[in-house]
Amino acid sequence: MKKKLNRTHVMGVLCILFSIWVFWQASQIPMKLVSNEPGPRLFPYIAAAGILICSVLSLIFDAPKQEERDSKKKQTYDARYWKRILILTAVCILFGIGMYYIGFWITGMIGVFAFTMLLKDQKKINIVAAVVFSAVLASVCYFGFTRGFNIPLPKGELWSALGIKML
Amino acid sequence: MATYLSSLMIVLQPVNLIALYLCSIIGCILGAIPGLAGGLGITLILPLTFAMSTDLSFAMLLGMYVGGVSGSFISSVLIGIPGSASSIATCFDGYPMTKRGKAAKALSIGITASFMGTALSVLIATFASKALANIALALGPWEYFSLCFMAVSMVIGMSNGSVFKGLIGAFLGVFLATIGTDSVSNQMRFTFGNYNLFAGVNVVCLLMGTFALQLVATSYAKGEQEMPEVEAGSLGGFGLTVMDFVKNGKTIVTSFLIGLGIGFLPGMGGGVASMISYGQAKKSSSHPETFGTGDEEGVWASEASNNASIGGALLPMISLGIPGDGTTVMLLSAMTIHGLQAGPMFITQHADLAYMIFAAVLVAAILVFITEIFTKRWFPLLLKAPYHYLYSAILMLCFLGAFASTTSMFSVGMVIFFGLFGVLMDYFEIPMNCLMLSYILGTNLETYFRRGMSYAMGDATSFFKRPVSCILLLIGIYSLLAPAVKFMIKKMRASKAA
Repeated sequence: MKKKLNRTHVMGVLCILFSIWVFWQASQIPMKLVSNEPGPRLFPYIAAAGILICSVLSLIFDAPKQEERDSKKKQTYDARYWKRILILTAVCILFGIGMYYIGFWITGMIGVFAFTMLLKDQKKINIVAAVVFSAVLASVCYFGFTRGFNIPLPKGELWSALGIKML
Repeated sequence: MATYLSSLMIVLQPVNLIALYLCSIIGCILGAIPGLAGGLGITLILPLTFAMSTDLSFAMLLGMYVGGVSGSFISSVLIGIPGSASSIATCFDGYPMTKRGKAAKALSIGITASFMGTALSVLIATFASKALANIALALGPWEYFSLCFMAVSMVIGMSNGSVFKGLIGAFLGVFLATIGTDSVSNQMRFTFGNYNLFAGVNVVCLLMGTFALQLVATSYAKGEQEMPEVEAGSLGGFGLTVMDFVKNGKTIVTSFLIGLGIGFLPGMGGGVASMISYGQAKKSSSHPETFGTGDEEGVWASEASNNASIGGALLPMISLGIPGDGTTVMLLSAMTIHGLQAGPMFITQHADLAYMIFAAVLVAAILVFITEIFTKRWFPLLLKAPYHYLYSAILMLCFLGAFASTTSMFSVGMVIFFGLFGVLMDYFEIPMNCLMLSYILGTNLETYFRRGMSYAMGDATSFFKRPVSCILLLIGIYSLLAPAVKFMIKKMRASKAA
C-alpha cells in the first residue's frame, strides 16, 4: 500500500534542509578565539545538529502516528484553511506597504476596517459601526503614540514626495 | 522592610495605581475570553511602555499579568471553555456547578481562591527573593549554564506531544538567539549585512508575530470565532460562608503549596499546577466520585494553585533571571527592553524596583478581587465580545508595536514573517513555549557556557566537576530523556506483547 505524506514528513524534510543551511552558514562565520573558549560557531552548530537529529527521530517515531492522531482531532488543515491564511497575510502585507507610503493614520483606518470585514466571516455587522470603530481606534492609537508618548509613526512617503504635510 | 514599604508607596502613587488597575481589568477581560490571555495583553502593551518610566511600565505589565491569570476561570465556569491553559481543571467542576444553577457560588470560589493564591504566594516570594539571590550570588558561569539548561529541558520534557518536536522548537530558539552580534567575540552571525539584525532578532517582533498575529490568523482560518450562549441564571451575592473555607481548608492549603512549588520550577506554569492540584484533591478526597460533577473542592484546588504559581514564577525570575512560566518570559523580555538584567544582582542593585514588582502584584490581586466581587453579575457580557473587532484591534496593535519598538519598517516585515512562522509551528505541532524559552535563555546559555569553558581552560568536564552544576545538569538531562525513555520502554513492551 502506498503511504501518504503527512505534515510530520513535511516538517522533517524542511527542518533537515534548514539545518544543512545553518551548518553551511555557520561554517562561514570567521573564528575569533578568545582565551580557550569554543568560539562563535559552536552554538549555531549545536542548534543545527539538534534540529537535524530531532527531525530524523521525528520522521522515524512521530510521522507514522500522525494520521492516527489527526483522525482523532476535529481540526483539518484543508484548502479553506490555507486560503484564509493567505488572504490574511496578503492584507497584512498591504497594511505594511500602506504604512510606508500613505502613513499609519490613514492605513490604520482603512486597515482596521478591512480586517473587521474579513474577520466577521459570515456574520452580519453594522457597516457604520465598523467605520466608526476603525476611525476612532486608528486615530486614538496614532495621536496617542505621536502626541502622548512622543513615539514617531510613519507619516507616509507618498505625502512627503507630493509635498503634503500630514498631521 | 523599609525598601518594601517605599516600593509599595511607589505602586500607590495615583498614576501607577490607576495604570495598574486599568491593566488588571483589561488583563482580566482578556483572560476571560477563550483564546486570548493576559500574556497577549503584555505583548500588546509592551511597545506602549517604551516611552514610560520603569515604575509605570511595570505597574501596567504586572497588572495585565495578574488580571490575565485571575480572569481565566470566568469562561471555564460559565461556558466550560477555559480562558487559558491554567484554568482547564476549573472546567471539570466549575461548569457542572453552573449547569446545576450554582454559577454564583462557583464564580465566588474562583474569585476568592485566585486572590488567596496570588496574594499569599507573592508575599512568600517577596520574603524569599533576597535569600535566593544571596545563594545565587555564590554561583559561577557553570552553575548558571546548568540552570538555564535545566530550565529549557524541563519545558521540553513537560511539553505536550512529541519530545522530538519540543526539542526542535528549543533548538530553533537557540538558533534565533545566535542571530546578531556574538556577545563574547563581537562577531556578526546570520545578519547578512543587514544592520537591522545586528542587535539580534527583535523580541517584540518575535512575540507579536508568533503570539498575537499567529493567534488571530489561526483562529480566523479555523473559524473559531463563535462563543456558546451563557446560561448562568442569577449571579448576585457572594455565596461563600466561613464554613466553606473551613470545609475546604486542607484542599486550599495543599493546592496553594503545589502551585507555589510548580510555579517556581521553570516553564511549568499555572496549567500544570492546576491539573496536579486537581488530581491531588480528588485523590485525597473522601468523595472522589463527586469530582467532575460540580464539586466545589475541584474549583478551589484548581484556582488556588494556578494563582499560587504567580508568586512561584516571579521568584526565580527576579532572583535568578530564569522565567517560571510563559508569561514571565514576556516580563523578562520587558525588563531587558527597559535595560534591566534580572538575576541575583538585580535585587541588590535595584531593590526598590524588585520589591515594587512584588508590591504591584499584591496590589493588583487586591484590586482584581474587589472589582470581580462587585462586577460578577456582568461576567457573561465579557464572553459576548465581538471577535472581529477584537482581532482587528490586535492586528493593528501588532504593526503599531513592531514599528514603535525600532521605528523601522523592517520590524513590520519581521512581524508578518514571524506570524507566518508561528502558523507553520502550529501546523507542525512544534510547541512555541519551548522555542520562546530557549530563545530568551539562549544568549545566557551560550555566554555562560563559553565563559565556563574559558575559565576552565577549555575543560568541558568542569560543568560536571562542580557539585551544584552537576546536579542541575543531571536534573536537566533526566527531564529531557525521561519522556523519550518511557516512550521507548512502552513501545518495546507493546511490541513484546504483540
